[in-house]
Amino acid sequence: MDFYQGKVLRIDLSKATSAVEPLNTDWAELYVGGKGLLLRYLWEEVPPKGDPWAPENPVILMSGPFAGTNVSTCSRLVVGCKSPATGILNDSYVGGSFAPEMKFAGYDAIVIQGESPEPVVVTIKDDVVSFIPAVEKYWGMTTSRIEEAMRRDFDPAAKTMSIGPAGEREVLWACLSTDQFHKAGRGGHGALWGHKKLKAVSIRGTGPVAVGDDAKVFLDDIYRIHKEYVLTEDNLWAHEEGTPVLAQVMSDAGVMPTRNWSSGTFEGVENINSDSFLKIRTRNRACYQCAIACRQFHQADGVAGEGPEYETIALCGGNCGISDIVALMKFNAACDELGLDTISSGSVVGLAMDLTEKGVHDFGLRFGEVEGYLKAPELIAKREGIGAELALGARALAAKYGHPELAMEVKNLELPGYDPRGAFGMSLAYATSDRGGCHMRTYPINDEVVAGTLPPDTLEGKPQRIVWGNPAEGMIGENFSAVKFCGIWCDFWAITPEQIAQLFRHLWKREVTEEEVFRVGERVWNLGRLFNLREGVEPDDIPKKLYEEDGAHTTGASAGRAIGAENFRKALQEVYQIRGWDENGVPSEAKLAELGVDVRL
Amino acid sequence: MPHVLISSKKCTGCHMCELACSAYHENAYRPSVARLFSAVNPTTAAIKGHTCLQTACAKCQEVCPQDAIVTKEITVRVKGDYPSLEKNGEVVKGYVLVVDEEKCTNCGECYDVCPTGVIHEHPEREVAFKCDLCDGEPQCIAFCQNPHVLAVDLKVDRMDKELQA
Repeated sequence: MDFYQGKVLRIDLSKATSAVEPLNTDWAELYVGGKGLLLRYLWEEVPPKGDPWAPENPVILMSGPFAGTNVSTCSRLVVGCKSPATGILNDSYVGGSFAPEMKFAGYDAIVIQGESPEPVVVTIKDDVVSFIPAVEKYWGMTTSRIEEAMRRDFDPAAKTMSIGPAGEREVLWACLSTDQFHKAGRGGHGALWGHKKLKAVSIRGTGPVAVGDDAKVFLDDIYRIHKEYVLTEDNLWAHEEGTPVLAQVMSDAGVMPTRNWSSGTFEGVENINSDSFLKIRTRNRACYQCAIACRQFHQADGVAGEGPEYETIALCGGNCGISDIVALMKFNAACDELGLDTISSGSVVGLAMDLTEKGVHDFGLRFGEVEGYLKAPELIAKREGIGAELALGARALAAKYGHPELAMEVKNLELPGYDPRGAFGMSLAYATSDRGGCHMRTYPINDEVVAGTLPPDTLEGKPQRIVWGNPAEGMIGENFSAVKFCGIWCDFWAITPEQIAQLFRHLWKREVTEEEVFRVGERVWNLGRLFNLREGVEPDDIPKKLYEEDGAHTTGASAGRAIGAENFRKALQEVYQIRGWDENGVPSEAKLAELGVDVRL
Repeated sequence: MPHVLISSKKCTGCHMCELACSAYHENAYRPSVARLFSAVNPTTAAIKGHTCLQTACAKCQEVCPQDAIVTKEITVRVKGDYPSLEKNGEVVKGYVLVVDEEKCTNCGECYDVCPTGVIHEHPEREVAFKCDLCDGEPQCIAFCQNPHVLAVDLKVDRMDKELQA
């Protein structure tokens, strides 16, 4: 098979056995790879309405068809499960080099089920799968140490996906880590691995990925595609500045979460904006097979490493009232080593600061105070002291202290760094995201703040943009992100449907239209909705203060703006209508048939 | 003599060079049999490029008991941005070392002496394989495309220039 390896590796942790089975090519045709193929496998493998912690609940590692070739940015891996945090689908994407290595080892996907009686590391060298006891030797290691240990003990060129101490203790926002700074961050995959007693999967592959009868034809086309579409002004900002550039822009627009979402403008942003990070930048690194190389390394006062990216700057910086760049870098580095998602970490610590400042409960954490802030990640990861309570997550922590309105989450996934009061479209993005509070499914921020093509303080015209976007203007809608995540293309290549069609021509060996590209995306999005409905998803909503009149900010650039509850609900219904869904967000039979979705509730 | 060098300082560790190399030579993407590689420590971001120095080194040729490493004349044509070359379309003439697969017995002497570790046993053909500058169109350089990076380049020394004159 060209591009695909045609094989899925199934690992049973309960029995410490593995088996190779053929990739379902019918599904691959319908759902391509990445997100689409992952969701189709999840539909089949997840016991309906089952307990996310049950041994049968799988974790699936899925590659895209272009992983292991030199199509820029397509080295991304998607990790999927029914999330223990949200109870619905979770697809979490990670760069680095794991997906290509998986392909070179001969697998399109790895399905992990069961629960090991003792902590275990799984090593895969092409077709040899081994289960290595992790207790004493590896259990307890931070993420950089386990990777180093695998390079030493297993294979010098091993690529490792691991959990840190936070995952071992099943903290709900523990992430998976690879190439040290790359995280499948959201939705608690790390917690699930910890529950399954799986410390790490380490892989080394030496085989080929075929792309057709004459690889040189493909190679020449990719050379052209890189020149024409990838290495352009539209994308190279990510190499030159990267996402820290967003900090100043979002704060100026009243969009940057500040002190547990009590303002959208952070007065200390100058200390943690792009200019400040450029002063301490040391070098750029790339994910595997990516010409853009957006990963920025920084060094300052005893801390060095990659990042932080904008979401971390927003949630762990502004949202905690922290403008000390060294403290922010230390907090970020601690989360990386412990295996904690920084969006949720910053959100929960900000919430604990808010509860303390409001006199509800003293966690010893206050906005802008560095000392307690820097201790928090380790306490959370170890569930010690205040960490035992913080590890509940924003929703449960706020509920426990009688202030559910202070938890900034959607479907129990803590919100990322865009306050909808400064960019109204984000309210719909958060409400309709298929994995809960997430900014990656559609990015109205582009319309409303970055490009400024639409006014930020109205929902007029936004439902159409949420669903379909406008890729020509760089605005990604949900249907388009769904097909991009099948590729799996990174957002830093502002790829167009036409460019995806050009690459699908290599994949399908025939002409491909833009309409077909969108159709794949819409099919995948509807499949995700069916999965969530089957598992009993909460109604689509966001924290009420983000749209109610009395929730409006009193300070900053977005002060006084409110979406209004009625406007929000009306716009949400409009999204459903555009999608061909009923008023509860259930896809119609006609829509599913039209899209060729091959499952039904 | 012309040979490829990877700047460890500029390299971002994207491995595009290895991917293009293997696709060109193996008709499939297979970096484990690439003719050059960039070793990356993901934690420290330390990077070290490994490439064949061709006739400037020639240790493989010196030790080969079968005289299977032969000197071949080559003309390198520019495709892509070469920091070392002034203009597009510039041509560099020189010599490279290639493996005569008829003579190679896979004894491994060259594997042991190669200072950069870029001559190996081919997993299927069971003979040595090494960089030949892609018959004059080095794919590794062509695919180091980011204008801010350009870490892979052709090393052209004085002898090459004389050869062209």
